[in-house]
Amino acid sequence: MNDTAMNDTQEMTFEVEALSYMDQLYAAALRMTRNGADAEDLVQETFAKAFAAQDKFTMGTNLKAWLYRIQTNAFINTYRKKQRQPKRSDADTIEDWQLSAAAEHTSTGLASAEDNALDQMGDGDIKQALADLPDDFRMAVYLSDVEGFAYKEIAEIMDTPVGTVMSRLHRGRKLLRENLREYGAERGFYDKRPVANKANTDSGEASDA
Amino acid sequence: MPNNDCEQALDQIFEYIDHELPDDELRHIGDHLKECPPCEAEHRINEKIKNLVGNCGDEVAPDELRSRVLATIKSARSES
Repeated sequence: MNDTAMNDTQEMTFEVEALSYMDQLYAAALRMTRNGADAEDLVQETFAKAFAAQDKFTMGTNLKAWLYRIQTNAFINTYRKKQRQPKRSDADTIEDWQLSAAAEHTSTGLASAEDNALDQMGDGDIKQALADLPDDFRMAVYLSDVEGFAYKEIAEIMDTPVGTVMSRLHRGRKLLRENLREYGAERGFYDKRPVANKANTDSGEASDA
Repeated sequence: MPNNDCEQALDQIFEYIDHELPDDELRHIGDHLKECPPCEAEHRINEKIKNLVGNCGDEVAPDELRSRVLATIKSARSES
């Protein structure tokens, strides 16, 4: 195979593989930008940049992470600045006192009510709770929970030290959990099935249900 | 009452769930969770939320976006 033919083959492989991530990048873009029009523009920009820079990509390394890195950068540099929605609080304005204290047991009754309320949440509730997180927290949580990236990979994608990734995950997840608690309470998920009767119901002893 | 094992388990609950701890620490926390119902309840809730969030990437790119991207690639290739 001559050089041109080899380059063409590599280009095709790159193209096919990169395009196979479009749905995933689009879903991520929707979570990042929180609206469909911006999400489409962001994915379009990601692919344009990726193809323009494809000779900087080493075949055989993690293409998905590389594309996510381009998209995350594009989001931070372009879309975050011109968000169509009212600006929400940034990660660094969330004070630690706004998050529940670390290393503490929830009372058994509360934990079981919370667990139960989560079972009644739909995708829409979770997406809304995610959307309410500051950008940096939301992206770290998304990259870990949806894409299953390792902390080291998230650090590369977000161009930040691993320690910062861990801190964003900790704080983001605590805040997310609090958001979900609030939705659960607003929607009455905590009232529908009294905690005291749960054990009975589960063991099939409740006869009047 | 929470003890040192509880504190470690709760401090590292996310790293535990994400499998980002060395094997011996994973095992240590796993053993603790088996014998401490309040810590296990915390673990269960956080893991459940992680799994729920895990389902939040299910959208499919609209056809119109796919066409736009393909057009971009095509024009980039013809320029090169």
